[in-house]
Amino acid sequence: MRFFLFNDTAFEFIKPFLIGVEFFFVAYLLGYSTFLFISVVTGSSSLFKKRQQDRLKNTILKDHFVPISIIVPAYNEDVTIVENVRSLLSLDYPLYEIIVVDDGSGDETSAKLINAFDMLPIRRPIQRKINCQPAEFIYEAAAQKVPLTLIRKKNGGKADSLNMGINACKYPYFICIDADSVLQHDSLSKIVKPVLENENVVAVGGAIRPSNSVEIENGRVINYRLPRNLLACMQVLEYDRSFLASRILFDKFNGSLIISGAFGLFKKDTVVSAGGYDATTMGEDMELVVKLHDYCVNNDLPYLIRYATDAICWSQVPENLKDLSKQRRRWHIGLFQSMWRHRVMLANPKFGLTSFISYFYFLIYELLSPFIEVFGIACMILAFLVDLINVPFMLLFFGIYALFGSIMSMTAFFARTQTIDLKVTFRDVLKALLLCTVEICVLRFIMAWVRATAFIGYKKKKNQWGKIQRQKINLK
Amino acid sequence: MKIEILVYVYLAICTAMIGFNIVCIFLFSHNDRETEQNRLYYINLIKDQFGKAVLDDRHRIFLLKRLVHVRELVAFDKSLEILYDEYPVELRDYLRKLEYVFIALANRYSPKNEIQMAYYPYVIARYRLFEGEDSPEINRMLVDLLEKPSIYCRENALNAFYSMGISKNVSDALLIIDHTGYYHNRKLLTDGLMSFAGDRKELNDCLWEHFWDYSLNTQLAILDYFRFSSGDYQERMLRLLQENHDSEIHFCAIRYLGKYPYQPAYEQLMRYAEHEDELRWEYTSITCFALASYPCDRTIAALKKNLSSRNWYVRLNASQALENLGLEYADFIDIFEGDDRYAGEMMRYRFDRKKLSERSAKAI
Repeated sequence: MRFFLFNDTAFEFIKPFLIGVEFFFVAYLLGYSTFLFISVVTGSSSLFKKRQQDRLKNTILKDHFVPISIIVPAYNEDVTIVENVRSLLSLDYPLYEIIVVDDGSGDETSAKLINAFDMLPIRRPIQRKINCQPAEFIYEAAAQKVPLTLIRKKNGGKADSLNMGINACKYPYFICIDADSVLQHDSLSKIVKPVLENENVVAVGGAIRPSNSVEIENGRVINYRLPRNLLACMQVLEYDRSFLASRILFDKFNGSLIISGAFGLFKKDTVVSAGGYDATTMGEDMELVVKLHDYCVNNDLPYLIRYATDAICWSQVPENLKDLSKQRRRWHIGLFQSMWRHRVMLANPKFGLTSFISYFYFLIYELLSPFIEVFGIACMILAFLVDLINVPFMLLFFGIYALFGSIMSMTAFFARTQTIDLKVTFRDVLKALLLCTVEICVLRFIMAWVRATAFIGYKKKKNQWGKIQRQKINLK
Repeated sequence: MKIEILVYVYLAICTAMIGFNIVCIFLFSHNDRETEQNRLYYINLIKDQFGKAVLDDRHRIFLLKRLVHVRELVAFDKSLEILYDEYPVELRDYLRKLEYVFIALANRYSPKNEIQMAYYPYVIARYRLFEGEDSPEINRMLVDLLEKPSIYCRENALNAFYSMGISKNVSDALLIIDHTGYYHNRKLLTDGLMSFAGDRKELNDCLWEHFWDYSLNTQLAILDYFRFSSGDYQERMLRLLQENHDSEIHFCAIRYLGKYPYQPAYEQLMRYAEHEDELRWEYTSITCFALASYPCDRTIAALKKNLSSRNWYVRLNASQALENLGLEYADFIDIFEGDDRYAGEMMRYRFDRKKLSERSAKAI
């Protein structure tokens, strides 16, 4: 049944077009499934090996501490900031400092910190190695386990706050974490391990895990279950797949292009030389990592960007579609800005596999994927209208795709037991099993639409903090 | 379409991966249970041998057979862990008598894969099994591990050498690591040397003897180790500082002479502090910090002058040293009232910090 508005000439044009589209999509999905397949298999086997190594004490056992500065950029975080700093003060690591940078909050962020930790004003000179907005006041607390500094500065965005933190920190390595995140008690000793293993490590990414419905006591998980909120639950599956699979694969050839802003360790000197965080981008975390590749390769500096699967940071994920869409729009624009700014890496042999695998993956399967997927759905409608669609085959293909994606998610879900000793209950397995298909078939397409339309009106929100609704962290 | 077949193959492999992960979950939990049972079994077995002049042959043969399997060694290790706290003297005596078994095990663990092989020296180091003894069989296995690319193999083997406490072996082990060309973090080497169980003086002599045979990284680790462990080498450090070496060696020597003040080195240090060379600012910066151990008017004058250095780190270290020298606010009126705002800021910060520390000390 062909719709009347398509005459024969139009049909003659549409037919080869749709055949071309078909070939394109087969190649596209084949590429994607091959990538996912390789990354999940590599990830799972790496984690298995890691678990064996830990069991047989193939690890750095003594307390060899690399001094670390923890930078916490905060903007209107008075709900969570005190609890967050308290949890940072309880980490099992002796040599670190905490620097909270209040980016001109309109709420009680600074006041709450000052009162909670008995902080005093101090006239501290800060060397402005990287450009940032000026400080309005600085407070320090002395009677704490480690030095705690609060810098209140003029509003300039998250990247600007991080740059201020880098300028103020005194140790050679810094960690940036989100003000709504909680580090696991041993996460600092885990994240510095790659630095102890290789002198060329300039950055290490930690593993981010959604903290919704997780109870944490002194940095230790005492009660874990999948979130009650279905959207948050689907994000758990998504995070598992992304962190336990593709990041491990990229790590194998020094090809990581992203370290989450929620938890990453960086070598200060290298970051300063590369110019620090870019305050004009929305995805400052990705931009920095791509910039480090660009900077090190162009200056012939040996470097490694590593991923520590066992350095865990618990972070809240959005529990409603509006917040999630807001977050994903920012991520997508940030991705575009980072890739565009460092487009020199595209098909450039100087960057090796980072260019030909990581950059291409992010370009095709992250940046362009929402457009490709929306285009695919439009083509399906068109094919249906001109009666050129083989419905059973389409359903079969879509079914295979959904099944494949679900199996990938479940593989990553089960692999978690090899990174963190979390007991997975039967109920959680069942929940994951049901939701992984929904995530692949529904959420993914909604997010594709959100990301495809991300650029509409983005200039207005360029330097704003991507705030989502905060909840008190379940800390004890 | 052929594509479907490929995707089906992927699906099958991934389903197998899920199966693998599920099996792993059960396997891990089964292993944990088994290890726990074996641990209890080994505890009783070992306790039965306490106080005996010679270990039962049956016991030794049994261990020799069982500990070849890495999961049994894990259970054995866990049982030793418990007994180590409860019966330290009896356990030491027992382990000394067990050395024969561990020598025989060295040969059995040598052909295993790197991960399993590295566990063996961990057990040796943890319970100081061959303290003060030089066993060729064990040494051979450890040397083999030192040449592996895995840092954990090297680190566990080094820890075993440190625990055995034979100076010559430790100094040779460091040379072997240098020859392999693998990077071994300086902090790990320094902290490892600090844990050496034998005669420190003998080890230090050995390290000095071969000092110039080591790579720069190892030399720096050794110099750091000397700084943390002994104040006997001021003269040598001054000589290092006066000779033409890598600047990092000079920095280590300056830090050493800062920790262990040595008057004959003062002139050399003052040369760095009084004549700042912009290209060699690190010398001035590190020296400023070291000068806190040489209190006198000339030191104070040089540090005050360096408060006005163009280099941030020189100013920072000079202010820190002046604070460490215990000067009062009144001693810096010239700085606070002077033209150099940066110098004043730096010292003001020091006094603010001091006040903050005093306040918290009072509160405590």
